Amino acid sequence: MNYKMIVYNIGKILLVEAVLLVLPAIVSIIYSDGMLASYAVTIAALTVTGILATKKKPKNKSIYAKEGYVIVAFTWILMSLFGALPFWLSGGIPNFVDAFFETVSGFTTTGSTILNNIEVLPKSLLFWRSFTHWIGGMGILVFVIAIMPKTENSSMHVMRAEVPGPTVGKLVSKLGASARILYGIYCGMTAIMVVFLLAGGMPLFDSLVNAFATAGTGGFGILNNSIEGYNNLYFEMVIAVFMLLFGINFNLYYLLLIRRFKQALKSEELRCYLGIVAAATIIIAVSLITGNHSAGYAFRHAFFQVASIITTTGFSSTDFGTWPIIAQLTLLFLMFIGACAGSTGGGIKVSRLVILVKSGMRDIKKAINPRSIETVKVDKQTVEEPVVKGISVFFAMYIIVIAVSSMVVSLDGRDLTTTLTSVVACIGNIGPGLGAVGPAGNFAHFSVLSKIVLSFDMLAGRLELIPMLMIFTPYAWSRKYN
Amino acid sequence: MNIIIVGQGKLGTTMTKQLVAEGHDVAVIDTRREKVESVVDVYDVLGVCGNGASCEVLEEAGAAKAKLIIATTASDELNILACLTAKRMGTEHTIARVRNPDYANQHQFLQKELGINMIVNPEFETANEISRIIRFPSAAHLDSFAKGKVEIASLRIHSDNPLCDTPVHDLRKKTKAKVIICAVQRDDEVFIPSGDFVIKCDDVISVTGTRSELVSLMRQCGVYRHKIKNILIIGGGRIGFYLAKQLSDTGRKIKLIEHNESKCYSLSENLPDDVTVIFGDGTDQEILDEQRLEYQDALVALTGIDEENIIVSMYAESKGVNKVITKVNRHSFSILNDIGLETIVSPQIVAGNLVTRYVRALHNSADNAQIQTLHKLVNGKVEAAEFIVPENAGYLDIPFKDLNLLPNLLIGCIMRNGKIIFPGGNDVMKAGDSVVVVTANRILEDLHDIFV
Repeated sequence: MNYKMIVYNIGKILLVEAVLLVLPAIVSIIYSDGMLASYAVTIAALTVTGILATKKKPKNKSIYAKEGYVIVAFTWILMSLFGALPFWLSGGIPNFVDAFFETVSGFTTTGSTILNNIEVLPKSLLFWRSFTHWIGGMGILVFVIAIMPKTENSSMHVMRAEVPGPTVGKLVSKLGASARILYGIYCGMTAIMVVFLLAGGMPLFDSLVNAFATAGTGGFGILNNSIEGYNNLYFEMVIAVFMLLFGINFNLYYLLLIRRFKQALKSEELRCYLGIVAAATIIIAVSLITGNHSAGYAFRHAFFQVASIITTTGFSSTDFGTWPIIAQLTLLFLMFIGACAGSTGGGIKVSRLVILVKSGMRDIKKAINPRSIETVKVDKQTVEEPVVKGISVFFAMYIIVIAVSSMVVSLDGRDLTTTLTSVVACIGNIGPGLGAVGPAGNFAHFSVLSKIVLSFDMLAGRLELIPMLMIFTPYAWSRKYN
Repeated sequence: MNIIIVGQGKLGTTMTKQLVAEGHDVAVIDTRREKVESVVDVYDVLGVCGNGASCEVLEEAGAAKAKLIIATTASDELNILACLTAKRMGTEHTIARVRNPDYANQHQFLQKELGINMIVNPEFETANEISRIIRFPSAAHLDSFAKGKVEIASLRIHSDNPLCDTPVHDLRKKTKAKVIICAVQRDDEVFIPSGDFVIKCDDVISVTGTRSELVSLMRQCGVYRHKIKNILIIGGGRIGFYLAKQLSDTGRKIKLIEHNESKCYSLSENLPDDVTVIFGDGTDQEILDEQRLEYQDALVALTGIDEENIIVSMYAESKGVNKVITKVNRHSFSILNDIGLETIVSPQIVAGNLVTRYVRALHNSADNAQIQTLHKLVNGKVEAAEFIVPENAGYLDIPFKDLNLLPNLLIGCIMRNGKIIFPGGNDVMKAGDSVVVVTANRILEDLHDIFV
C-alpha cells in the first residue's frame, strides 16, 4: 500500500475543503452572526494539515484499487471531522460527537439531525450544514477530479469508489472532462431550482439552502418542521419535482444534452423508478383517503413524501409518523430501494433492484428448465455475471450491516420501530425514520455509541459499503496482500 | 484531439499509453471485455466493447467527431474495414495495421485508392530498424535524421573507455570527432548535458553526427566493431522474413533457423537463394553450437517468446558474438538493460513511435514547422525530433545565444543545403533548415515549443 500517496491525496482534498469553507465564512460576514472566528480556526487547521500532507510529492505515484478505496474512506471521515469543527467551536452544537454526527449526516446527504431546535442556529451554520449536502451529493473527490487540470490515469479507481451504482461509466474519454460535465449539470440544475423557489416568493437565503439540500438529496431543513413549516403548495411541488430530478442517473441528462433523447427515455431504470413513484403515491394516497383525509391532502403529501423518501432526501411536508401502517410500510420499503444509480440519492438503487429481480426470475426459469441458458439484460444489454453476483452480495451485506448496527443501537432500549428505522434511515442516507426518529423527532436522544455506529452507517451507505467495510479488514493494511 | 484505437493487443495498448501521455482524448474498442476493462482501469480513456468495424460500436466511440482512428486488431482485413467505415462516418484520418506480406506490395494502392492515410507494418519497420543497427554495429541503437545524413547513436561507456570521467566540452580535444553528446542516461535518470557535465563509467550516451564522424568517435574510444558479414537469425516469423530479405540484398551471409518445417519450406521458396534456411529449434544449445554460433558476427533473436529470445541472446553474448540483437514484446520490464543485453528492439515501440509522429504532425497546422522524424531514446524518456524551419518564423536569423531556449533541451544539429552544422551560440536558423532538437521529459509539437 502506498501510504505516502494516500496522505498526499487526502491532503489535497482537505485544502479544497478549506476553500469551500470560505463560503459560510462569507455568509457569516453578511449576516454578521459572530461565527467568523470558528471558520477562521477551521480553515487554518485544514490549511496547515493540507500543506503538511502535500509538502512533498511522493516519488512512487502508483495508486491501485485498494489505495483508491482507502483514500475515499479516509477523505470522507476526515472531511467530516474537520467539517464538524465550526459547529463545535462556535458552541452551536456543544458536544463534538453530536457535531460529527451532524456533519456526517450532511456530507453523506442523510439529513438526520440531533438538533432539537434548528431555528436558533446562526445563519452561517445553517448555510454550512446545507452546503455539506451539496458537496456530498455529487462527491468531493469527483469535484477534485473536475477541478484538477490533468487527472492521473489511476483516478478511475477513486471515482469508482465514490460514485454510487453497480457499474461506473465515463461520459467522455477524459475522466476530468466527465467530472466537469457532471458538476456542470449539477450546478445548472441547482441554479434553476433556486430561480423557481425565488419566483414563488421564498427568500434568497432559504431558496439557496433548500436547493442545496434538495440537489444533494440531503434533507436538512432550516425550519423545525422541515418544509411543512412553509405550508406552501408551490414550494412543496417545486421541491418534490426537483427531488425526483436529482434522483435520476446524471448520465441520462448528458444523453439529453447531446440530443440522444430516445436512448435517455428508454432507460429501464428510469421507467422503473417513475413506476415505483407512481405506484407508491397511489397506494399511500388511497390509504390516506380511506383514513378520512381529503383527496387534496392525500395526493399532495403522498407525492411529496414518496419523492422525498425514494430519493432519500428526507424532507417532510407533514408528520407521516401518524399515517396508517400501510402508508408507513410503503415508505419503509422505499427507504430500502433508494434512487437511481449515478444520482445524488442513496439507498440500494433502483438499477440494483431491477437486476436483482431479473436475476431472481432467471433462476426460477432455470429451476423449471435446468438446461436453459439465460442472461440478465438491462436496456437490451447483457449484465455480466460478476456484476449480477456483486449485486446479490451487496444486498446481503447491506442487510447484514443493518442487522449488526441495529443490535448495537438496540442497547439504548428504544422500541423496535425506532431502533430499526434509525439504522435504515442512516444507511440509506434518508434522514428521518419512523417512531421516535420520525419527522417530528430527531436523533438527539441516542447514546454516544449509537451515534458513532449510525455515523458509520451513513458513511457506509453513501460509499456503498466496500470502502468503509474494507478499512476494518486486515487485508487493507497489509503491504504484501496487495 | 479525439482518437479511436481499435484493438487492445500489445500494439493497441502501447499506442493507448503513448497517446494518453500526450494528452489526447482516446476511446478504445475491443471485443474482449476484460481487455477493455483493464485498459480503462489503468489509463484515462473511454472503453467500448464490441467489433471495431461495426457502425454501432464506432458511433458509440464517437467516430463521427474523431480526428483519427487507428486499427490494430490481429486481422488486417478487419483493420482496413474499420478504417473505411470510420472514414465514411466522419473520422478525418485513418491508420491501419496491415502486416500480411501478401499485401506488402499494395500499401500504395491501399493508401491511394481506399483512402487509408497510413499503413503500419510493425514487423517490417522492426526489420528496418534491425538492419540499420547491423549496418552500424558499434552503437547499441541507431536512428537517422535528414534521410540518413545524420544519425543518432547510443553507446554504453565501459570503464576502459577514454571518455570515462571526461567533461563534455573536452570531447573534441580527446577524440577530434565532430559529434555532439545530446543525452546521457545514468541509472534511472536522464540528463541533457551542458559543457561541464562529466561522463562517468556505465553511462549510456546518445551522440549525433554523420556516419563517418561517429565511426571515428567509436574508433578512438576503442568500441568500434567491424562490419558484420555473417548473421544468424533465430525465428522465421514476419520480422525474420523481412530482415533476411533486406540483409541478403546487401550481400551479407544469412542463416535463418526456424522450427516449423513447412514454414522452412515456404521461407526457402520466398527468400533469395543465398539465405540458408535451417530446420531446427533455434533455442536449443546443441543446434546453436552446431551452426557455429561462435563464428557468427551477429545473432538476432526473433522468436515469438521473449524469454527464449533473452536466454538465447545471453548465451550468444557469453560465446563472444560481436553483436546481439534481442526482440522483446513485453518491453515494460525495465531490467533488460541491466542484464547485459545492449540492443533490444520491440515492434510495438517502433510502430508506436511512427504513429506518434503522425499524430504530432496532424496536430500542427500547415504553416507551422512540421515534425519530420521523431525518435524516442532511453526508454522513451528522451525525444529527438527533426523539424523543417518554416518561412516567416519569428526566430529566423537570430543567433542562438540571443534566443531564450528552454532548459533540458539541446539543438543536436542543423542541416543546411546538405551541410551539417553543429550550432554554437552565434549560429542561426534559416528557413528550410532541418533542425534536430533533443529534449527530456517534454513533448514537442512545433519549433515554437523550444523557447521559454
